[in-house]
Amino acid sequence: MTTSLWGMDINVWANAAIRLQIIVLVMTVVVMGLIWAERRILGRFQQRIGPQKTGPFGLLQSVADAVKLVGKEDLRPKNADPWTFELAPFLVFIPIFMGFVVVPFIAGWNISVLELGLLYFVAISSVNIVGWVMAGWGSDNRYAMIGGLRAAAQSISYELPLVLSLVSVAMFAGTMNLDEMVRQQAAVPYIVWQPMAFAIFFIAALAELNRAPFDIPVGESEVVGGPFVEYSGIRWSMFMLAEYAGLFIMAIIGASVFLGGYIWPFGEELGRGWQLMLISAKAGLIIFVVFWIRASLPRLRIDQLMGYSWKVLLPLVLLQVLVNGLILVNGWSEVILGVTGLAGVVALVTITGRAANRPRSILARPAAVKVEAA
Amino acid sequence: MKGIARSLMTTLSTFSRKPVTRDYPNVHKPLPERDRAFPLLLWDQDIDEPFCTGCHACERACPVECMTVLMKDNPNHKTVGGTSTRRKIIDKFWIDYARCMRCNICVEVCNFDAIAMNNTWTGHEMSVHDRKDLVIDLQGLLAQSRAGAIKEWVPVLGQTNE
Repeated sequence: MTTSLWGMDINVWANAAIRLQIIVLVMTVVVMGLIWAERRILGRFQQRIGPQKTGPFGLLQSVADAVKLVGKEDLRPKNADPWTFELAPFLVFIPIFMGFVVVPFIAGWNISVLELGLLYFVAISSVNIVGWVMAGWGSDNRYAMIGGLRAAAQSISYELPLVLSLVSVAMFAGTMNLDEMVRQQAAVPYIVWQPMAFAIFFIAALAELNRAPFDIPVGESEVVGGPFVEYSGIRWSMFMLAEYAGLFIMAIIGASVFLGGYIWPFGEELGRGWQLMLISAKAGLIIFVVFWIRASLPRLRIDQLMGYSWKVLLPLVLLQVLVNGLILVNGWSEVILGVTGLAGVVALVTITGRAANRPRSILARPAAVKVEAA
Repeated sequence: MKGIARSLMTTLSTFSRKPVTRDYPNVHKPLPERDRAFPLLLWDQDIDEPFCTGCHACERACPVECMTVLMKDNPNHKTVGGTSTRRKIIDKFWIDYARCMRCNICVEVCNFDAIAMNNTWTGHEMSVHDRKDLVIDLQGLLAQSRAGAIKEWVPVLGQTNE
């Protein structure tokens, strides 16, 4: 069995291995770049400059951090469960890395084109919750335990809207092959027909990645870093690597599924370099908005977080799936889809706004009432 | 939602503004003319000697007693064939910058306008490893004025304030 790589016929496994190597290198560099970009952009959001001393514009700051982290001692608490504790970082990182297999960076440059690529991505990206819970349990630390359980609750809650928003796009596209989905968007990206699905995908992706304002599993002021409390050095840096690699892959998937990936608006004839720049620009836009939201919004309370997922996002996205099915079965115009999607966005904004602006009603405690009566 | 949108717009407008950070050790902000660092002695460029005659006025006025002044006969005086009109001149002078509280009294009492507060960055960046290194001798006190590396905000002898 042979496939072509740079015009050469090459063994399938060797081909995949070479592409994986390239992905590993690209991902590491991108993650370092993302950490640098986040610090610079967040700095500007707070009217600071951010790292600037290490290399030009502080570009080597991430390298310096990596060197420092590798040099640190790898500590393990005495009472920690050795296997769970030491394996958890890998369990967080490997699923994220495996997700890269199906990501359509540019035409013909995913590691493997799977027919059920979207399903594979969704399935593999949710496995890393296990790693979080293991880190929380294995550390033998209450903060870590609480953080791990919070991560589990949050990830499970937001997995549903995330998956269903992708499902509604897959319904419309009629395929789960990510490469095929991108190619179908040559004229119009799916965000036009499925705006609400994109909004829900974005919110749920924020929660999946534990980014602000959904960062309660790792909230420093509440659980002092959550499952990472006891980790140091190289293992801690693996968690960070997984976090930013997750951000990268989520942005690329969002850009591919909703924003037309490498193809919209210039078509397939574009050169590979331009395709790469196009997809990077789209993913970069999503990542910038993620940083922007982090700089703007305070952390949610856990009950608000769960309520928002189950009471707002899930019904709306189920409705979207229902409407999609209705329209597709009856063969109605795509325009209706767009209109209903926009109505959905309005509904989402309204409901979120009402929830955010609701005045807090403080219930009188029975004890206090009793004292008053006496 | 209005609140969320407003917070997003606030951060975005902050983002578009210039950072307020100053790259301090590389870029020094200009100091005001009457900036007050540590006192130093002024050099009379015309006659090429210090203005200070060692009259002890500053030493006596100093509330923290950080000064030590010694006077001598001026070897450059006219009576001995020199060019100067100063009969007496400063021999030795120490100021303990670790003790000085930068009150400006020495400048106020000086009859010859021979002492001034340093108004340059050199007067501020004086960190040393040993406290003893902050006791500055006559050479050190005069060096900056002698090199002309000080902005004049106190009227030097011969000049008038407006």
